[in-house]
Amino acid sequence: MSATTVAPAVRRKPPAAVRRRRFLVAVADHSLLIAAAALFLVPVVFIVLTSLMTTKQALSPRLWPEPFAWGNFVDVFETAPLWRWAFNSFLYAGLGTLGLLVSSIPVAYAFSRLRWRGRDGVFLIVLVALMLPPQVTVVPLYVMWAKLDLVGSLWPLIIPNWFGDAFAIFLLRQFFLTIPQEYIDAARVDGCGEIRILLTVVLRLAKPAIAAVALFSILYTWNDFFLPLLYLSDNPDNWVASIGLSQFRSLHQVQWNLVMAATLLVMLPVIILFFLAQKAFVQGVTLTGVKG
Amino acid sequence: MISESAAGAVSAAPAAALARRRAKRRATWRRRGVVLLFLSPWIVGFSVFFGYPLVMSAYLSFTTYDLLSSPQWVGLGNYRYLFRDDPEIWTAVKNTLWLVAVLVPLQVLFAFGVATMLARAKTGVGFFRTVFYLPALVPPVAATLGFVYILNPATGPVNTILDKLGIEGPLWFNDPAWAKPSLTLLGVWGIGNTMVIFLAAILDVPRHLAESAELDGAGPFRRMGWVTLPTISPVILFSVVIGVIAAMQYFTQAYVAAAVAAGQASQAGSVSTLELGYPEGSTMFYPILLYYNGFRFFQMGYASAMAMLMLGVAFLLTLLILGQSRRWVHYQGAAR
Amino acid sequence: MRRVTTAVVLFAAAVLALVLAGVASSSKPSAKAPAGGTKASATTLTVWVGWSARELKEFKKVVAEYDKKNSNVDVKVVGSINDDKIVASLRAGQTADVISSFTSQNVGVFCKRGAWADLKPYLDKDKVDLNQFPASTRQYTEYKGYRCALPLLADVYGFYYNKKLLAAAGLKGPPKTFAQLTAYAKKLTKKKANGSLDVVGFVPTFGFYQNTAGAYQPLVGAKYFDGSGKSALGKDANWQKLLKWQKGLIDWYGHGKLVKWQAGAGDEFSASHAFERGKLAMMMDGEWRVAFVAAEHPELQYGTAPMPVMGAGTYGAGYINGTIIGIPERGKNRDEAWKLVKYLTTNDHALATFSNGIRNVPSTRTSAHSKELKPDKNFAAFTKIFTHPKSATIPITPLGAAHLDTFQSFLAKWQSGKISDLVGGLEKVDEQIDAKMKRAGGGPP
Repeated sequence: MSATTVAPAVRRKPPAAVRRRRFLVAVADHSLLIAAAALFLVPVVFIVLTSLMTTKQALSPRLWPEPFAWGNFVDVFETAPLWRWAFNSFLYAGLGTLGLLVSSIPVAYAFSRLRWRGRDGVFLIVLVALMLPPQVTVVPLYVMWAKLDLVGSLWPLIIPNWFGDAFAIFLLRQFFLTIPQEYIDAARVDGCGEIRILLTVVLRLAKPAIAAVALFSILYTWNDFFLPLLYLSDNPDNWVASIGLSQFRSLHQVQWNLVMAATLLVMLPVIILFFLAQKAFVQGVTLTGVKG
Repeated sequence: MISESAAGAVSAAPAAALARRRAKRRATWRRRGVVLLFLSPWIVGFSVFFGYPLVMSAYLSFTTYDLLSSPQWVGLGNYRYLFRDDPEIWTAVKNTLWLVAVLVPLQVLFAFGVATMLARAKTGVGFFRTVFYLPALVPPVAATLGFVYILNPATGPVNTILDKLGIEGPLWFNDPAWAKPSLTLLGVWGIGNTMVIFLAAILDVPRHLAESAELDGAGPFRRMGWVTLPTISPVILFSVVIGVIAAMQYFTQAYVAAAVAAGQASQAGSVSTLELGYPEGSTMFYPILLYYNGFRFFQMGYASAMAMLMLGVAFLLTLLILGQSRRWVHYQGAAR
Repeated sequence: MRRVTTAVVLFAAAVLALVLAGVASSSKPSAKAPAGGTKASATTLTVWVGWSARELKEFKKVVAEYDKKNSNVDVKVVGSINDDKIVASLRAGQTADVISSFTSQNVGVFCKRGAWADLKPYLDKDKVDLNQFPASTRQYTEYKGYRCALPLLADVYGFYYNKKLLAAAGLKGPPKTFAQLTAYAKKLTKKKANGSLDVVGFVPTFGFYQNTAGAYQPLVGAKYFDGSGKSALGKDANWQKLLKWQKGLIDWYGHGKLVKWQAGAGDEFSASHAFERGKLAMMMDGEWRVAFVAAEHPELQYGTAPMPVMGAGTYGAGYINGTIIGIPERGKNRDEAWKLVKYLTTNDHALATFSNGIRNVPSTRTSAHSKELKPDKNFAAFTKIFTHPKSATIPITPLGAAHLDTFQSFLAKWQSGKISDLVGGLEKVDEQIDAKMKRAGGGPP
């Protein structure tokens, strides 16, 4: 893709002039990238700067915090029940993701490695569910949960995840299709029933895909706003972080510095997760798009 | 297997053949049982959380229902109001279609552009990739709050800097002409996922194709148009479909931005009259109007009618895109 | 790969550990008997109110007195409840014992079968005299004869002006007509070097702070509905007078400049409120602002008066609404709840204490004359407006305030200059409101 060619076995350092030119070309090549990256970082920089300002300064047009109000990160916990919100988010994300995996893996397996009549037709129906905006089904579902007296709790959010998720099924199925048939045949010959095959062979081989699905699910539930807004708004005890953040304003007027500090704190778990699992994240993202 | 049994029926004893057939039938039933078992979560989930609500939604769309009393049949009343009398509905439809026509292409374009640059970059790829991906991890609520703050026309840093440069900054989220573009900026900022997908796809383009094109004298743009784009066209299609689906469901960012920019403080004192889609209806998107009608004004029947319309449009759009795709999407190797 | 597994497993383990502790506590709210430190076998009453921060503290003080006097109940107060939450909880079937709302317009929504309970049996049984509540407060606490609420202190809207800024501009006394108001506003406005607004004389934009069409209606004597119950916004010439005045002043400032200034004006219920900081010379606001200024900017030199008037408006009148309080029908302890509501709404001492605390107008005749009320010259103007015979409130509809939302959407476009045919536009709004009313149907049980 570049114009330079790789030098043969004997490597001589190119003369300084050439090296300088190459560096300048590299910077020029990358200049657009650097500019774009800078633009992308601008909002993040402002958010961080604002989170370190005093309340008064956050409302003024001044750009650089002076003094640095590190105490904001502590104040946030005093002014809002951030721990409670984080706990609720953890509950939703954790239980939801667990259920999603437990229920979607067998389904994906059935769609990929088991042969049965009508399999591809039914899979098309799964895809249709993927296309559907949640707002279409939201009204009757809300009525159903209200009649079951569960509105205000986290259950309407968690329970559907225990019955399979179209996106997870889709992703896992695509991956399972790539498992070489020999492994499965070998296990069958050994006398394993389907369930054992699933648990031993497939699970081990599909770890990257499962990890990716888990990470996606955690990310999605952690940031979910619409469903929690619908089911939890009248019960502040059960608010998740995303609702808490949006309500943060009206609870304490507009203390933008605290709002930004709270934002960073809410982002923190996900960012940590991302850094620990970077490779799997990227792998998972590409699994969705490229194979699909 | 079938030929085997046929041969067996001819040569071996009939009893053995019958036993084999019975065993096979049992195996088939056992296999079907396993399939059903594995599929059971999804079957239950699909019926309860998809099929049932869909049918119920269709039924409720012909009723008036406020959850306090039982639904009352009104026939086509809701649909008549929807298509004739509702002052807000067409604004909502137009705004949502604006997203599909403007936000989605921009997102795909930026994702592709950034991915292309990353693919060509030689140093610091990891760092750059993180920078571009990180915004996608920010919770949408937080990202929106951040952007509304940054783009505050009076005290926000962006307008302050523009002011120092002598430019009169626009009113961003407070100007009906700039509200959707501001949301677009927010949407483009968060293209991390799409960008990484494109990056992987571009890197996946077989080298021999690019190299032979280069040998044939094709410049970088020609190479992109004739080699890269067609090869990654399935990924482009995927991104467009996902983007359109997201645009049709667009809720969180618009809801939060409108409330914050309008300065709604639901506190002591009398009500501050709600301005739907602040400013001037420019951020009134279809899912938001649906939410208001169903859960603020408690017109559940009408909200269901809106949902049915949404379903129809979503279907049509997806079919349209998939149909159009046959012309320009090219699958490598065997047909999928 | 292992790091991913570790990360995810740790995450799952942490969640599972928390689940065992958390599942029990993440249940729906219910009137649980509180743990130790409270009275034995006491009924817990949950009260939802819209107040927060300082005002909530004042309310809790009043409630604490009731708590002490009544050993068989334990009252738990939850603040910051807005109307969305109230309505949602009524629909979902789990709610508090006593609910109070700022939006008196929504009484048309609350007074439905299944929502708030009918108070008539309680009123009759305890022989409560409804005439102790002024007529206007009675109007916004019932709908079509179904009484589901009582007033809990009233809100009155009047005129605030910064004495220092007026004196510096050589202006005497508050303006009494809209023409005077306009002249004052122009004189008091100061611009920055780059042309943007620094100090604004008076903001005419609807949707900013407490500027709503509803609050201006008594000042111009305009009518919402005609005799047959149809929306009359396009028919009443007073609306046109009001809107033309408003547009004229907005254009003088420059709509864009005004919006920009508004964005930096400071949140309405914070210490950075534009009027309190001296950036807004005159404004319309409710009587509660007196308490806020005393708490946040006691050094501010300001005065209060009735709002200026024009058209068919009478000077001295103003817009009234107030906090309403009622008992959800599905509440669990309705009898005890009623006793608390009766105390809060009719007991002179309770009303006077609360009024002193949050500077809202007492809602009964006797409490308005109570000796316990602390006099305040700025607050006195509001009690006068409250008792003025022409002061009015918004007519109650089954839509609650939804029809005002439609009007506000129209006004937003009008203010930015996108509507050229005012009367035609108003008539269209009338059609839309009529269609919405028809669709809502509604009415008492």
